[in-house]
Amino acid sequence: MKRNLFFKILFSYLIIVCLSFFVLDLLIKDEIKKVMTDKIETELLNYAELIDLNPAQRISDQLQQIARISNSRVTLVDAQGRVLADSEKDITTMENHFSRPELQEARLKGKGKSIRFSQTIGVDMLYVAIPTKSQSQITGYVRLARPLHDVQSMIEKVYQSVFLAMMIVAVVALFVALFFSYRLAAPIRALERFTERLRQGHPVGTIFLETSDETEKLADNINYLVEELQTQIRLANEEKSKLMTAFTSMTEGVLILNAEDKIEFINDALSAILSQYGDINGRTLMEAFRDVELQKAFLKFKEKHDTVTEEVTLGSGFEPVILSVSISSVHNYPDEEKAMLVFHDVTRLKKLEKIRVDFVANVTHEIRTPLTAIIGYLETINAGAINNTADTRRFVDISLKQAQRLNRLVEDLLVISKVELGELDFRFEEISLRNALDGVIPLVEAKVKLKNMTIHNKVPENGATIRADRDRLTQILVNILDNAVKYTPENGSVSIENEQKDNYAVLTIMDTGIGIPKEEVQRLGERFYRVDRSRSRDMGGTGLGLSIVKHLMIAHGGKMEIESQLGKGTKVSLFFPL
Amino acid sequence: MEERKHTSSHYEMELQEIKNGLIYIGALTEKAIQIAMQSLTERNSDLAHKVIKDDDEIDKMDTELEERCIRILALRQPTAIDLRFITTAIKITGHLERIGDMAANIAEKAILLNEEPKLKPYIDLPRMADLVGEMIKNSLDCFIRNDLNMAEEVRRMEQVTDDLNEQIFRELLTFMMEDSKTIHRSLMIMQVSKNLERIADHAKGIADMVTYMVTGECVRHQTCSAEEKEPA
Repeated sequence: MKRNLFFKILFSYLIIVCLSFFVLDLLIKDEIKKVMTDKIETELLNYAELIDLNPAQRISDQLQQIARISNSRVTLVDAQGRVLADSEKDITTMENHFSRPELQEARLKGKGKSIRFSQTIGVDMLYVAIPTKSQSQITGYVRLARPLHDVQSMIEKVYQSVFLAMMIVAVVALFVALFFSYRLAAPIRALERFTERLRQGHPVGTIFLETSDETEKLADNINYLVEELQTQIRLANEEKSKLMTAFTSMTEGVLILNAEDKIEFINDALSAILSQYGDINGRTLMEAFRDVELQKAFLKFKEKHDTVTEEVTLGSGFEPVILSVSISSVHNYPDEEKAMLVFHDVTRLKKLEKIRVDFVANVTHEIRTPLTAIIGYLETINAGAINNTADTRRFVDISLKQAQRLNRLVEDLLVISKVELGELDFRFEEISLRNALDGVIPLVEAKVKLKNMTIHNKVPENGATIRADRDRLTQILVNILDNAVKYTPENGSVSIENEQKDNYAVLTIMDTGIGIPKEEVQRLGERFYRVDRSRSRDMGGTGLGLSIVKHLMIAHGGKMEIESQLGKGTKVSLFFPL
Repeated sequence: MEERKHTSSHYEMELQEIKNGLIYIGALTEKAIQIAMQSLTERNSDLAHKVIKDDDEIDKMDTELEERCIRILALRQPTAIDLRFITTAIKITGHLERIGDMAANIAEKAILLNEEPKLKPYIDLPRMADLVGEMIKNSLDCFIRNDLNMAEEVRRMEQVTDDLNEQIFRELLTFMMEDSKTIHRSLMIMQVSKNLERIADHAKGIADMVTYMVTGECVRHQTCSAEEKEPA
């Protein structure tokens, strides 16, 4: 840049120098010639006047001397043009000079001149002539001639000095150009470096120029621009990081499609939900998820250009997730439309909803069954069976049993809702596990004997002591033991053990019963959940036992864990905090 | 093909739409098989009726996609890989449409089987159906990603389904020999199995087409002749 600028300035200077040289040449050359010629002419005329003052005979005699002094060729011509004497040539060889222009001019005007190229010496000659008079009669002429090479050499001399001057000017111009180009280029170069660094994204600060010309103003403007730009960038970055933080920290999955409907961005939550799909960036929705419902929702969005909310189930070959997805367009892109999909994992919600629906259905069913029986028998009695004492007694017995079952059910439900609402009063006290078990085991003794089973109580006398509500603890233990005995075939056994794990006293009740299928284990503890609906009701359960235990354990600050193997038995672990 | 772009973004879009359409049909057929099998194992004929009804949508999508392919052929006159892509797409949609029909066939058999008492717990059939579903998924995956390894995997899985079909056939044979009353049901189950096996063949066909699309090399008949050379 400096180089360029330097050469541009130097070149323009040199052009000016050359031009002035040319113009000078054009104007000065003729002027010098004219002035010089005039000067020589005057000089020669003066000499001629001086020569004319002498008588003709003296002139002829001293011709050589005169010629030497006047530095010219002297010729004397008579009135008819005959050459009388010449300082350089032999007069006999010279022709008549009457027709020479300088003589003619002198005859008519009193003095004459002429410039002619002399063949003899090969240069321009200046001829000057005046008439010699006596009594105003022209008696002859004095002619002086001088070659004009003086003029030529004079011009050459002038030219030489002019050329020298030009050279000096050119050299000076070089330095001036250097100086100016440097002066001009330095701020521009500074600006260039500054903007270059800016372009590469380095922090640049501000640039100060004190040139007090346009560049200074330019630098000011650039500084202003840079400041503005950096503010904008900072704001944009701030916005971006805010958005990114929001996107990454939100539990909803976010997915953004670019204008070509390809996945441009997915947040952490979504990649966690849909980790099975692998890297889906850059793919279309269809390619990534291959889900018809999702694609339909997306097409609907494309058609309506309005937010679309749908529920889709994603996942085949793994635990499916139910997602509520809402698709909306991303604004701020006037030319291209992007779409944002927000996924909300509703799998748990759906599951809870199912449990709730199941619960209502179950409660209704559980209440209706005994009620139907009671109403049926009462109607039969009412319709006339009342007279048959034996039947009536049997019917009333059954009705009573059903009513008691109904009562048990309602009581259990009450307990559960009270525990869940935290309305149950607990009177915590230190209870020895062994002590509590000793109080509970006799309650199931009858059933155990009936099925020829054995209970191995391996909890030592000095076993763990826990903090619990005595009545509730009894309820927990009875429920678990009852279940263990109920679902163990004849000749089976139940063993009870006690150990300490982490900060819990763990009571383990293991049976050799029918076990529970693996996929059902996690649903145990749900209200009314029965592994085998038809069979367990025959055994007299309300379907709420484990649910109550689960909630009571939670109320005690503990937990219940169930492991089971189908056909081998079930192991229930009760964790009491120490 | 993913990385290279056409100068006409509209053309690019059209090709992408074809791709999406194929996956869409693929997803529909995959689901159809899944639901048909569910209706069989859960003895729920309502699901089977749904599959038969939904097959119309697959057929409709198939014709629509084919028309779109032909329009591109006529208007854009694609060359090289694009030409192979379009022709492959036309062939794949044909395969998928047939798969959809077979899913409907299975559903029909499921309706009939559900009316009769259960012959035996279905164990191998669901396994086969899972495998076949995965094959369709994989074959479309290899189409989307131009993944030749996956195409090879599909061809390998096709062998497994053949073996499973054979195994089911032998098992059913023992049932039929024991009790002639089971013959009707056994034959229907056999047809379900046969349909699954043919779906697997179609999935392999798709994988072969993908290999052709990517390499320009026809592998279909090479594998056929290789199989023939093997001692039976």
